[in-house]
Amino acid sequence: MDESAITGESAPVIRESGGDRSAVTGGTLVLSDRIVVEITQRPGESFIDRMIGLVEGANRQKTPNEVALNILLASLTIVFLLAVVSLQPLAIFSRAQQPGIPDNAALDADGVTGIVLAALVVCLIPTTIGALLSAIGIAGMDRLVQRNVLAMSGRAVEAAGDVDTLLLDKTGTITLGNREAWAFIPVGGVDERALADAAQLSSLADETPEGRSIVVFAKTTYGLRERTAGELPTATFVPFTAQTRMSGVDLATPGLRGGGRQIRKGSASAVLAWVRESGGSAPPDTDHVVDGISASGGTPLVVAEVLTAGAADGGRTARVLGVVQLRDIVKAGMRERFDEMRSMGIRTIMITGDNPLTARTIAEEAGVDDFLAEATPQDKLDLIRREQAGGRLVAMTGDGTNDAPALAQADVGVAMNTGTSAAKEAGNMVDLDSNPTKLIEIVEIGKQLLITRGALTTFSIANDVAKYFAIIPALFAAVYPGLDTFNLMRLHSPQSAILSAVVFNALVIIALIPLALRGVRYTPGNAMAMLRRNLCVYGLGGLVVPFVGIKLIDLVVQFLPGIR
Amino acid sequence: MNTTTAGVVFAASLAVALGLTYRPFGDYLARVYTSERHLRAEKMTYRLVGVDPDTDQRWSIHLRAVLAFSCVSALFLYVFLRLQGRLPFNLGFDGMAPGQAFNTAASFVTNTNWQSYAGESTLGYLAQMAGLAVQNFASAAVGISVAIALVRGFSRSHTDRLGNFWVDLVRTVVRVLLPISVIGAVVLVAGGVVQNFHGVRTVSTIVGGGQAITGGPVASQEIIKELGTNGGGFYNANSAHPFENPTVWTNWLQIYLLLAIPFALPRAFGKMVGDTRQGLAIVSVMAVLAITGVFLVNGFQLAHHGTVPTAVGAATEGVETRFGVSGSATFAAATTLTSTGAVNSAHDSYTSLGGAVLLLNMMLGEIAPGGAGSGLYGMLVVAVLAVFVGGLMIGRTPEYLGKKIAAREVKFAALYILTTPALALGVTAVAMALPGERANMLNSGAHGLSEVLYAATSVANNNGSAFAGLTANTAWWNTVLGISMLLARFLPVVFVLGLAGSLARQRTAPVSSGTLPTHRPLFVGLVTGVAFVVVALTYFPAIALGPFAEGLH
Amino acid sequence: MIVMASPRLPGPVRQLLAALRMLLVLTVLVGVAYPLAVTAIAQLPGLRHRADGSLVRAADGTVVGSSRIGQPFTDAAGRPIPTYFQPRPSAAGAGYDPTATSASNLGPEDVVDMFDDPATPGDESRRSLLTTVCGRSRAVGQLEGVDGRRPYCTPGGVGAVLAVFHRDPGFAGPVVRVVSVNERCPAQPFVATYEGVRVECATPGGDYAAGQRVLVPGPGRGRDNPVPPDAVTASGSGLDPDISPAYAYLQVNRVAGARGLTPATVRRLVEDHVRGRALGFLGEPRVNVVELNLALDRLGTG
Repeated sequence: MDESAITGESAPVIRESGGDRSAVTGGTLVLSDRIVVEITQRPGESFIDRMIGLVEGANRQKTPNEVALNILLASLTIVFLLAVVSLQPLAIFSRAQQPGIPDNAALDADGVTGIVLAALVVCLIPTTIGALLSAIGIAGMDRLVQRNVLAMSGRAVEAAGDVDTLLLDKTGTITLGNREAWAFIPVGGVDERALADAAQLSSLADETPEGRSIVVFAKTTYGLRERTAGELPTATFVPFTAQTRMSGVDLATPGLRGGGRQIRKGSASAVLAWVRESGGSAPPDTDHVVDGISASGGTPLVVAEVLTAGAADGGRTARVLGVVQLRDIVKAGMRERFDEMRSMGIRTIMITGDNPLTARTIAEEAGVDDFLAEATPQDKLDLIRREQAGGRLVAMTGDGTNDAPALAQADVGVAMNTGTSAAKEAGNMVDLDSNPTKLIEIVEIGKQLLITRGALTTFSIANDVAKYFAIIPALFAAVYPGLDTFNLMRLHSPQSAILSAVVFNALVIIALIPLALRGVRYTPGNAMAMLRRNLCVYGLGGLVVPFVGIKLIDLVVQFLPGIR
Repeated sequence: MNTTTAGVVFAASLAVALGLTYRPFGDYLARVYTSERHLRAEKMTYRLVGVDPDTDQRWSIHLRAVLAFSCVSALFLYVFLRLQGRLPFNLGFDGMAPGQAFNTAASFVTNTNWQSYAGESTLGYLAQMAGLAVQNFASAAVGISVAIALVRGFSRSHTDRLGNFWVDLVRTVVRVLLPISVIGAVVLVAGGVVQNFHGVRTVSTIVGGGQAITGGPVASQEIIKELGTNGGGFYNANSAHPFENPTVWTNWLQIYLLLAIPFALPRAFGKMVGDTRQGLAIVSVMAVLAITGVFLVNGFQLAHHGTVPTAVGAATEGVETRFGVSGSATFAAATTLTSTGAVNSAHDSYTSLGGAVLLLNMMLGEIAPGGAGSGLYGMLVVAVLAVFVGGLMIGRTPEYLGKKIAAREVKFAALYILTTPALALGVTAVAMALPGERANMLNSGAHGLSEVLYAATSVANNNGSAFAGLTANTAWWNTVLGISMLLARFLPVVFVLGLAGSLARQRTAPVSSGTLPTHRPLFVGLVTGVAFVVVALTYFPAIALGPFAEGLH
Repeated sequence: MIVMASPRLPGPVRQLLAALRMLLVLTVLVGVAYPLAVTAIAQLPGLRHRADGSLVRAADGTVVGSSRIGQPFTDAAGRPIPTYFQPRPSAAGAGYDPTATSASNLGPEDVVDMFDDPATPGDESRRSLLTTVCGRSRAVGQLEGVDGRRPYCTPGGVGAVLAVFHRDPGFAGPVVRVVSVNERCPAQPFVATYEGVRVECATPGGDYAAGQRVLVPGPGRGRDNPVPPDAVTASGSGLDPDISPAYAYLQVNRVAGARGLTPATVRRLVEDHVRGRALGFLGEPRVNVVELNLALDRLGTG
């Protein structure tokens, strides 16, 4: 199937009936064969529909935080309406105190003129943030989409910013997908190079990542060239089976019928049994090495060989060559990432099916705060519930059907697009790249969304202070000359002052649109530093900017015809 | 020592005294409201009243108890005042007129103590002590009980219970107000405050004229007037009266007392939520605003700008010699900052800008430190709003003390913040639009507007002090201000208890380094800024046309 | 009176009854028992005198007032009696009336007087605070023989306030008319001309609101005026028993002269009665006029 319409990834993917990979998404192309599809989604609610809806913001429901902010803005609007409406009787009274002052365009015997009153209301009510609120929300979604993440609701994006606990699968997220060869440890006095050579030989046909890593490791560490199958015409490769639990190669000695060398690598118990069967025995230090590797969180693969002199004498020598240490490789930069998370107040928990010993080692190496070893789906669910009972918000990723309950329970559940439809239904986001590390980016986008909202609200409200300083003296300095003290900006005239304030009010919305869309810069760090910075920039900035802005506009506006 | 230095030392000594008692008094208050034990006298009271002290109330039940008690109190007081003529110890005064009785009952039940009557020419001793003074205790205790319920909303997790109103009420009276009052009243008597039942005694003065020397159980009422941040004076002149506030040190003591509970409650709050740093942050916001207020009033009064003060050479109009300009300015700042409303000088005669600061003090919403109880809950509501804005800016759904500030919490907080300006500006606007009501202004021009604005603001913040030139004993003013007081007190109480209920229901989220720290100086600055900006934006036009128009030249 | 709760009553009614009982219990406790207890304690020796109002007696033993409550030292016509130290002006009733305590409540910019217009019924006259202050300062200055002129005051002792009318709106253009609003015709205005225009006196009922208000500072001093501030301003209660030491010293010569005592004797008496700031920083230095005048009487008889 070509799922590039959804994922942007043009490489075809395989879908087959039954099992975890049976779901197809609308808008994908069948490249080969044919499929029979049962449509379970109702018209207009398909994945594509939802995606379009979210991006367009058509049916966008307000998130709880947006609702709260709207309540705050509504009450501020009421306060300002009150301040303006109640101003009128006071203005009429004040005007009557100075019968010697002629009426002007802003203030006459009937009080403040309608147009100026309207201008005052428009300037004061939080129009800026009100207008930008939707844009901020949609832009947040959009940033997710740009990172190939589809959020099922804005609520999930917001929750992402709040996440306290991050559940991360070990494999693929914290560590590279697979274990890699890390060391060759010979036993029984075998030469290290001989072990490396045997290990490489046994893995030449092994296409598993572990096998590849052994070949590569032998090459990079011992300079052993990777031989191709053609160079070894007599080789017969023995693949891994669940029964034998080992793989290897049989090398026939040319000219010696029935003679040759068999090399096997595999789990300790299987390989040792094979050696014993072949008449050999393990050197006493084998068990010690195997246990040592297991204890340190690695996986031991025992390499052994059986040499057959020939069919004639039937002499066989079996011996254990050594142990390949496989271990998880933590992705580069993970520790820094987790340190960052910690400073943001987010606790990371590694989920793994490994035993606690292995899990601890990886956890320590990667720098996660905690781990859940030998995790069953029920364990995951329990962990999430436990965290939530402590008042924490939990985010996790998952792809399998067995992850679905946990994904549904988590506050932010990111399903991999390669995952099952059950997982995708259960989660509230889908990562089209199927990259579990992206959870971290999602958290940052969620935070950025909230920060942008808070920053623009603060900015917008702080703006009003300057507008008062422009409009109140403009209105009343004629009646009470003392009020000209508040004309800090020394604006040209009452008319130009009011006009400048209104123009500034309109311009500032336009000026802030890019910021609303782009989002306020977010650098992970502790809350205190972030608050200080944002308060300085958007709080104090919100106080100061309009003073400068209105003054500058006034310098221009005063030359307009008709402005005194 | 010159006047300015003495004034600074005077204010500083109060700050030091409040600082010294902050901890012990706050800790004591926290113990009062967390103790499991009932005193014998309390148990007896519960039995007499017929309430079970060990039931925990949901917020709606708590609210109903508050409203039931206040409603009964108001009706009782109204009837008491109306029937004064038929009750003993009335000094020959008749019952109050209906409008004034309604206004007075509303005023004392709401802890406002706005007085449209003059004590010495309206009320007898029984009405003062068994009517008004009872509400001085009760209304303060109601305010504190509501504040404690809100604190429990923060400190409790996953419950719908906020404590028992009756228990908090009784404990406030029995363990806090009454003991301090008994001791304090005796101390005041030692300072020269009268405490007798002599009635009016007419004497022949030194030069042979007649003078009617008044008496009354003043000390017992004076002390709770300050301690409970009530402010209703026994006499019309209130704390300027030599029988209410005879000496410079009783003046100091009265200022201290009216600040004592509001400034100690944040400590109790910190103690009860298990983090005294939180209390320290709240009290710091209060202190910053209060010190600014005290400093500005003193500054403007001592600088005596304005025509008459310049002609006089000092802002001494309406100021008692013994207190001086500074001792009066500090009292005035304290009384307007605490919703007390007692006065030891005539605010109406203050310099325009000094008067403007008094107005602004009240417009802050009585949170710095505000009334007994109401100051704490008002400040916590402002803190909730500050957390909401600040919390967003660190990229999280805002949390305060582990409680999420979401739509429901913001709704209650916003409604709370809306109530007072709506009443203050609404009443001012309507009064200024009605020529008849305007005519009650003593002063003309901008100062007249200030009188009306001050009255409306004072009442809408349950303060009770006045630019006393306004003749407020008319049917319109008595009714409108009475209704305004009731709404200004009980609507916020509804919202605060609703907020408390909604907070208590939440689980307490653990603190992490990603949480907004609410005990740091930056947060103190943020809350101060939010309080100030909200006030500035709400009231700037009105205050510009009142005291600023008058005082700026 | 105490009604026990009946479980059959509906919840709200039960709550109201509980509220009523709670109020009654509180009324008995803090409304009756508490003030009575405090009154009882106040009967202790040392407290009783103060609880009763700190009454003072003349040499003959008759009660003549309270040391805490100021009293007037004026004759039947309201003129100061020169043999006594004068207290501050009072806004309590007709002056120092404890049954009508009050301040003037006039604002700092209250500068324009109202005159009674004979053409209309009722008396609309009202003296502004500025004129009141100017008048008091002038009177005290005359009584004590010092220069009591203050800023913004006319030599006649009213507020020096002009209403200046311009030809053009917005107080623009040349001045066309000037009225001294606090000087009622046929008074001679305190300045003859203003910007070349003759200053008129004010007629009752005249409306000068449209004029620009101009305050004329004049030669008088505010700060450091020989007549101290407390002598020209009313107190907050109207019962202030104290005056500043400066005002007391100002009156020494007059009182000594009227009593036939040496100024030094009277001055020493004043010095004995000056109370400084308590603890060095509480309040202001002051002299209790009631006690001072009583002591003066004792001095005279003794």
